Amino acid sequence: MSEPAPTPAKNDDLLVAMSVRKEFGGLLAVNDLDFAIPQRAIVSLIGPNGAGKTTFFNMLTGLYKPTAGAVIFDGHDVTGKPPHTITKAGIGRTFQNIRLFPQMTALENVLVGMHSRLKGGILGSIFGTPRVRREEREASEKARELLSFAGLRRVDHELAESLSYGDQRRLEVARALATEPKLLLLDEPTAGMNPQETVAFLDFVSKLREQRTIAILLIEHDMKVVMGVSERVTVLDYGEKIAEGTPHEIQHDERVIEAYLGKAATG
Amino acid sequence: MALIGLTTGAVYALVALGYTLVYGILQLINFAHGDVFALSGLFATTMIGGAVFGLTDTSTTLGVVGGLAATFVIAAVFGAAVNSSIEFVAYRRLRSAPRLAVLITAVGMSFIVQNISLAIYDVNARSIPPLISGSSVFNISGVVYTWDAFFVVLVTAPVLVLLTWLVKSTRQGKAMRATSQDPEAAAIMGINVNRTISFTFALAGALAGIGATLYLVEFNIRYDTGFTLGLIAFTAAVLGGIGNLTGAVLGAILIGMIQAFNEGLSWNAPGTAWTKSIVFGILIAILVFRPEGLLGERTPEGA
Amino acid sequence: MASSGRRARASVRGYRQRAVRASRLSRVAEAWGTLPERTRSLTPVVIVVALAVTYPFYVDSVPTNIPVIKTVPPLHDAVTILVFVMMGVGLNIVVGYAGLLDLGYVAFYAIGAYTAGWLASGQFEQVKVHFGAVGIPSSATGIHISIWLVLLIAAVVTAVGGILIGLPTLRLRGDYLAIVTLGFGEIIPQFVRNGDELHGFDLTHGTFGISPIDPPGFGHTLNSAIGLPVRYDESFPPTPDRLFFWTILALILLTLFCSMRLRDSRLGRAWIAIREDETAAGAMGIPLMRTKTWAYAGGAFFGGIAGAYIATFNSGAFPTQFDFNISVFLLCMVILGGMGSLWGVVVAGTILAWLNFDGLGNIGSWINTTLLPSSHQIDVPKYSFGIYGIIIVLMMLFRPTGLIPERRRKREIEEATHGGPLDQPLYEMRGADEPGAGERGEPGKIPRG
Repeated sequence: MSEPAPTPAKNDDLLVAMSVRKEFGGLLAVNDLDFAIPQRAIVSLIGPNGAGKTTFFNMLTGLYKPTAGAVIFDGHDVTGKPPHTITKAGIGRTFQNIRLFPQMTALENVLVGMHSRLKGGILGSIFGTPRVRREEREASEKARELLSFAGLRRVDHELAESLSYGDQRRLEVARALATEPKLLLLDEPTAGMNPQETVAFLDFVSKLREQRTIAILLIEHDMKVVMGVSERVTVLDYGEKIAEGTPHEIQHDERVIEAYLGKAATG
Repeated sequence: MALIGLTTGAVYALVALGYTLVYGILQLINFAHGDVFALSGLFATTMIGGAVFGLTDTSTTLGVVGGLAATFVIAAVFGAAVNSSIEFVAYRRLRSAPRLAVLITAVGMSFIVQNISLAIYDVNARSIPPLISGSSVFNISGVVYTWDAFFVVLVTAPVLVLLTWLVKSTRQGKAMRATSQDPEAAAIMGINVNRTISFTFALAGALAGIGATLYLVEFNIRYDTGFTLGLIAFTAAVLGGIGNLTGAVLGAILIGMIQAFNEGLSWNAPGTAWTKSIVFGILIAILVFRPEGLLGERTPEGA
Repeated sequence: MASSGRRARASVRGYRQRAVRASRLSRVAEAWGTLPERTRSLTPVVIVVALAVTYPFYVDSVPTNIPVIKTVPPLHDAVTILVFVMMGVGLNIVVGYAGLLDLGYVAFYAIGAYTAGWLASGQFEQVKVHFGAVGIPSSATGIHISIWLVLLIAAVVTAVGGILIGLPTLRLRGDYLAIVTLGFGEIIPQFVRNGDELHGFDLTHGTFGISPIDPPGFGHTLNSAIGLPVRYDESFPPTPDRLFFWTILALILLTLFCSMRLRDSRLGRAWIAIREDETAAGAMGIPLMRTKTWAYAGGAFFGGIAGAYIATFNSGAFPTQFDFNISVFLLCMVILGGMGSLWGVVVAGTILAWLNFDGLGNIGSWINTTLLPSSHQIDVPKYSFGIYGIIIVLMMLFRPTGLIPERRRKREIEEATHGGPLDQPLYEMRGADEPGAGERGEPGKIPRG
C-alpha cells in the first residue's frame, strides 16, 4: 500500500495542523503530523492505545506546547498559546477521564464554560449593576437551554459528582458547548457506556451537528460510533498518520488492520 | 566563621537530604521535617547531658567519643521513629487525597511536633557542653584545622557515603527509586509501596536526628529552631534540584556559605537580621527562573 | 401491689407528656417547613446579627462562672476577635474559593497595619500633611489622614502588594506556592522589624513599631450635624470600645457581603473551578494567572483593611504582632469552618479567635482549679498552636469539608431525595472517570438515563 495521500490543506479549512511534533524527553509522542479539519465536518481520530491521539488533542487545545510545527485555527496561529486563549478562539473540548467540577452543580459547570463569553467584572458583581444582573440572567437561561439540549434539565441543581456516568459525559459536552466553540473536540466520549447509552450519545452528536454550525473532532475506540457518525477517519499509530479516508476505506485498509491486530492478522 | 559555615552547611545538607528523599517519593513537602530535627536534637541533649551519658567537658576522650557515637545512633533511631509515625498517622490515609489536603495536613503536623517539643522541653534553648576542643589537629602552611571542624567532616562524610551506597546498591534503595518514578509500576513489580515509603520517611528522620546532634556541637536548640532551619534546608534542596540527592548537598553547601558570608562580614553585608529574607529571596528566585534547580531536570509539562 | 400500679400510672402519664411535647415540637417543625425558603435561610442570619449588634449591652451582665469557659469575652477583646474573623473571611477568598494555599496572609495584615502607621501618625516627621484627621493638633508633624480614608488606602495598597507578590508566586504549583507565600509572610515582617535603618531612613521604626496612631472619628462638623462621635477614643466610657465594636461589625458585614456577591458571580465561579480542577478550568476559557491574581488581591484587600483597623484600635503597629503562626491560625479557621463556606469561617473563626485570646486561658484556669491538683497545673494557652495543628490534621483526616460545609444545603436536599454521597469517604469521590464506572457508589440510588 502506498503512503496515504496528504490531506490537501484548503484555504477554508477550519483547522490546519502542520508538521506538528511532540517530544517528551526521549519519547517521541507525535511525529510531524499533518492534519486538517474542514468547516462543519465530523472527523474521527482513531488508533491503538498510546498512538498519540490525546497528546495531539492536548496540543490543539494548548495543554501541551508542540515541540515543532504549527496549528492554524480559523485563520489564526494558535500554536503554543495557553488553553484559555485557544478556547476563546473557538475550540472546546471534553476529557478522556471526565473532568467536571465535582463540587459545582450541573448548571454551574455549564456557566463556567461560558466564562470567556461573559463580561461581568468584580465591581459589577459586587454592586449588582443592572447590566451584570441581566447578563447573569441571560447566561442562566442559556445554560438551562444547553442542559435541556443535553437531556440534563432535571438535574441542573445536582452536584456534578453525584450524577450518573452517562449524565456526566453529557454534562461535559454541554459545558464544552457553553464555550461557543466552532470546533468541538470529544475525547473518547463513549468510553464506559453501554450499548444503549452509546446509541443515545450518537443521536445526540447528530442532533448537535444539525442544530449548530460546528465541526467535531472525535477520538474514539468504539468503531460503531466512528463508522456511524464520521465523514472522515484518520488513523494514528506511534504518533504518525498511517491512513485517512472515509470510514469504509479505512475499514479495509491493510495498514490499519495491521496496526490494530498485528502483522499476523493481515497474513 | 569558617567553622560555623561548615557546620551549618553540613547540617543543612543532612536535613535537605531528608526533604528531597520524601519529596522524591511522595511529591510532598514534609513541613514537619524541620520540627523532627528540633525534637531529635532536644532528645539528644538529654542523652548527652543529664542522666544518660553525663558527658561534660571533663569527661575522658573515650567517654566523649563513645557517648557521642551512641547519641548519634540513638538520635538517628529517634528521628526515624518520629518521622515514620508522622507518615503513618497523617499522610498515609491521605494518599489518594487532593494535594491541597495533604499539604495542609503537613502544616498541621509541623505545629503538633513543635508543640510536643514545647511540652516536653519547654521554651528554653538547650545545648550540650563543649565536648570537642577547639585545638588544632594539624596546621598546613598557616591554615589551622581544628578538631571541631574535623569532627563535622568526620561525621558527615561517612553518613553521605553510607547514604549513597544505600540508595544506589541496596534493594531498599532500588525500591525507593522505583517507587518515586512510578508507584503503580513498582507495586506491580512486587515492591511493597507502603513499606518503601515508611522506609524513606525513617531514613529522612534518621538523617535529621544525626544532623541535630551535629548541630548541637556548635549551637543550641529550642522547640522552634526547626522552623527556620527547616526552611533554609528546604531552600537548599530546591536550589540543588529537588529530588536530587547530590543537588541537596551542593545546595546546602552554597546556602551555608551564603549565610556565613552574610552574617560574618558585618561591614558589607546586610547581616544576621536579614538572613531569612535573603534565603527566601533565593528560593523565590530559583522557583521563578530555574525551578528544576542546579542539578535537576526539566520535567515535561502536561496535565 | 398498689405501689406498682401507681408507678405504672406515673410512667404512662410521663409517656403521654412526652408524646404531647413531641407532637407539639413536630407541629412547630412542620410550620417552620412551610415558611418560604428565603425566610428560613435569613432567620439565623438576622438572629446572629441582632445578637452581635446588641452584644455591648449585655456583655457585662453575663455570669463569669460558667463551667469550662467561665465567661464571654469583654468588649475590648471582642473587637480583636472580630478583626481576626474578618481576616479569616479574607483568607477564605484565597484558600476557600480559589484553593490557593496561602501560608503568608500575615504579610497583608502587616502591610495594612503599617500603611495606617505611615498615613495616620507622627512617623514621617519630615512632612506635615493633614487631611480629615480628627483630634490632631494642626501643629503636629507627620501624615494624618482621616482613618476612613486610610482604611481604603490600606486596602488598595495591600491589594497592590498582593498582586506584586502574586506575580512570581501564582504560577507555581501547590506546594511551592505554599512555601513561597510562607516566604513572603516571613520577609515582610522581617523587613518591618529591620526597617528603621534603610540607608539612614527610618521607615518602620524597627522593633519599636509605630505608635501612637490616630484614632478614628467623625470630627466636629458631623458631630454637631448628626451626633456622630468626634473621636472614638475620647468618647465617654464605655462607648469607645462600643464604637470600635460596632465599626468592626460593620466592616465584617461588608466583607461578608462582598464575599457572597463574588461567590455567585462569574469571577467566583472561575475561582471555584480553579480550585476544583485547574486544568479543566483553563480549558473552559478561564485565564488562570489573571483569575488567581484577583483572588489574591481580593484576600489582600480585606486583610489590609483589617490590619489598618486593628492598628488604629491598638493605636500602634508593632513587629511582634506578625508571625507565621498567625497565618496558620487563620488557615485553621478556614479549614475548621469549611473551605469556601462563609457561615463556616465566621463560626469557626469566632470560636478559634475567642480560644486564642480569651478562651484557652479561661479553660486552662478552669481545668487547673477544678480538675487538677495544684501540683500539676498546666498552662493551656502555651499549647494553643499545637491545638490548632491537631484541629487541622483531624479535620483533614476526618471531615475535610469543614464543620459547616460550603454545600451543606444542597447536600441536605440530596440526602433527603436519595441517600446522599456523605456516606462515602470523601476522597474516593474523584474517581468517576474510569471507563465502565457505571453508577458510582451511592447506595440505593436508582440508575438513571
